[in-house]
Amino acid sequence: MVAAAASDTAAQRRAAKRSPLSVAGFKKTVSRHAEIGIFLIAALLILVFSATSDGRWANAYNIGTILQVTATLGLMSVGVALVIGTGEIDISVGSTFGMGALTYLSLVQQIDPPLAALASVAVGAAIGAFNGLLVTRTGTPSLIITLGSLMIFRGIAIALTDGFSFSVPYKMRSGAMYTAFGGDSIGMFNTGVFWLVAALIVLTAMLKLMPYGNRLLAVGGSAASAHSRGVRVDRVKLQAFILCGALAALGGTLEAGKLGFADGSMGRLMELQAIASCVLGGCLLAGGRISLIGAVMGAFVLSSIQSYLVVMGVRPQWFMLLLGLIVVFAALGDRKLRAWALKR
Amino acid sequence: MAHPLISVKNLDLYFGAFHALKDVSVDFNAGELVGLVGDNGAGKTTLIRVLCGIHKPTKGEVWFDGTQVKEFHPKLAIDNGIETIQQSVGLCDNLSIARNFYLGREPVRKILGIPFLDFAKMRGESRKVIREFGLRDNVSADDEVERLSGGERQSVKIGRAVEFMNRVVIMDEPTNHLSVREREHVNELAVQLKEQGLLVIYITHDIFQVHKLADRIVIMENGEKVEDARTTDMTADELEEVIRQGGRKVEKRGAA
Ligand SMILES: Nc1ncnc2c1ncn2[C@@H]1O[C@H](COP(=O)(O)OP(=O)(O)OP(=O)(O)O)[C@@H](O)[C@H]1O
Ligand SMILES: [Mg+2]
Repeated sequence: MVAAAASDTAAQRRAAKRSPLSVAGFKKTVSRHAEIGIFLIAALLILVFSATSDGRWANAYNIGTILQVTATLGLMSVGVALVIGTGEIDISVGSTFGMGALTYLSLVQQIDPPLAALASVAVGAAIGAFNGLLVTRTGTPSLIITLGSLMIFRGIAIALTDGFSFSVPYKMRSGAMYTAFGGDSIGMFNTGVFWLVAALIVLTAMLKLMPYGNRLLAVGGSAASAHSRGVRVDRVKLQAFILCGALAALGGTLEAGKLGFADGSMGRLMELQAIASCVLGGCLLAGGRISLIGAVMGAFVLSSIQSYLVVMGVRPQWFMLLLGLIVVFAALGDRKLRAWALKR
Repeated sequence: MAHPLISVKNLDLYFGAFHALKDVSVDFNAGELVGLVGDNGAGKTTLIRVLCGIHKPTKGEVWFDGTQVKEFHPKLAIDNGIETIQQSVGLCDNLSIARNFYLGREPVRKILGIPFLDFAKMRGESRKVIREFGLRDNVSADDEVERLSGGERQSVKIGRAVEFMNRVVIMDEPTNHLSVREREHVNELAVQLKEQGLLVIYITHDIFQVHKLADRIVIMENGEKVEDARTTDMTADELEEVIRQGGRKVEKRGAA
């Protein structure tokens, strides 16, 4: 009796300490929606870029270009976000992107574009499976494994093209099928944008509403706990790597469709942009907490910055430096913003 | 009874060079509540982690319901009806209570053949259980486990095991972090489960408490089984002396 009464008052005291529900509720919103920061950054940059570029940035043509870049980088980023969700990382996606582009271009002259795209996605999935199997079977950190495959597949891409580029003759760059894979625009939207939107909807539904998503996040949150509940941890990770590879190759396909040619350096350094998009978009590198829409917004922000530097006539040699600085400041701003939101 | 529900035969387990389980043989029967006790680091958790599929033994056999277990994975143990309340794992901080509750066996509703999580069921069942285990009213099934206190987490783990109880419930120090009232609740549950015909394996350091509940006490020391006695044959004091002496049999037993 006495003990029961004592624990009662303890419970009441605890309840009282947490009673300002509004603060707790707000904290919950912020912690559950880590992507809020990137949306605010995007809004801010749109305002600043529009105001300072004299219409060179904020016009339909330029926005269309930004969205096309967002589509290819965004597809890559959501794939990387899924792998980050399991607590691993995939930095080989830039090379996978290149391999996807080359596969598509080498086949699209002989077979229908959908089949060529399918083959390209299959190549990406195979690279993902290669990464995933090595990581799960050997227990080697994914950073090392995918660093290796970043170099391996870049090497293969360079060897395949041998200093030349793969291209599609102009007369073949038309038709509904060719258009469907990044080959042209509908209104101001390159068809790649539709692929991104479709992938985002399907993958978000998978992540939030289906058993696989529950297990993927559980593995990233605590692999040991997930394992103890009967989750096949290795299988979940392998599937995430395969999805990531397939999405990167789809991005490469769409970029190849848009440009009509590609060389061995296609997609170089894009892996870094994809990881930056994920982190800016609120994905926790430790795993278990990711936002796919956040990663896409991250990609949008990066392509907007890139485009701003171009239209402002910044010399390309300053490009990486400035992009890097802006990413660092955006990340700091995002952290500040979250800290500020938590304090209020 | 023809055969024990779980039978462990000459089990050895090494972590690298460390010999964690040494030639352990023990039987567990359905409808029995077995207390598993012993010093810190004696190998209790390691032994039950073999039973629930987390560790694969280096040598020896495990038999479940008359068939030898060949593949060790928690999924198979759970499918066989073994529910385990783990000592240090079992909940993912980044997921809600409802999502943790059904992790690995998510209920789905198929729409056009696509499996979607059945959130109504996930929330409903887990809400029922967290209320039954006396979690505060402002804890909801949608709250992330990260926000829960130690006792609340433990209650979620116990509630989950009891909800899915099937043939075996293994409890590894289940009363850790729990208040006096909740401890009694858990002990009553353990007895109820046994009375319903389940095998209950109860790990604890409190020999006096488990002696009152259990049919049998197994004592481990240094990776070995050093005692296996019915609670009707040995008193709690005698068993405590065995633990205190590091497994060596003591005079008193013969004298008594
Ligand atoms: N994964 C592992 N790798 C290496 N050693 C381990 C591992 N798990 C347990 N051990 C070691 O095995 C021994 C037995 O550990 P175990 O957790 O089974 O003890 P226990 O009887 O459950 O103790 P406690 O009462 O403290 O929970 C300990 O010395 C521990 O350090
Ligand atoms: Mg233990």
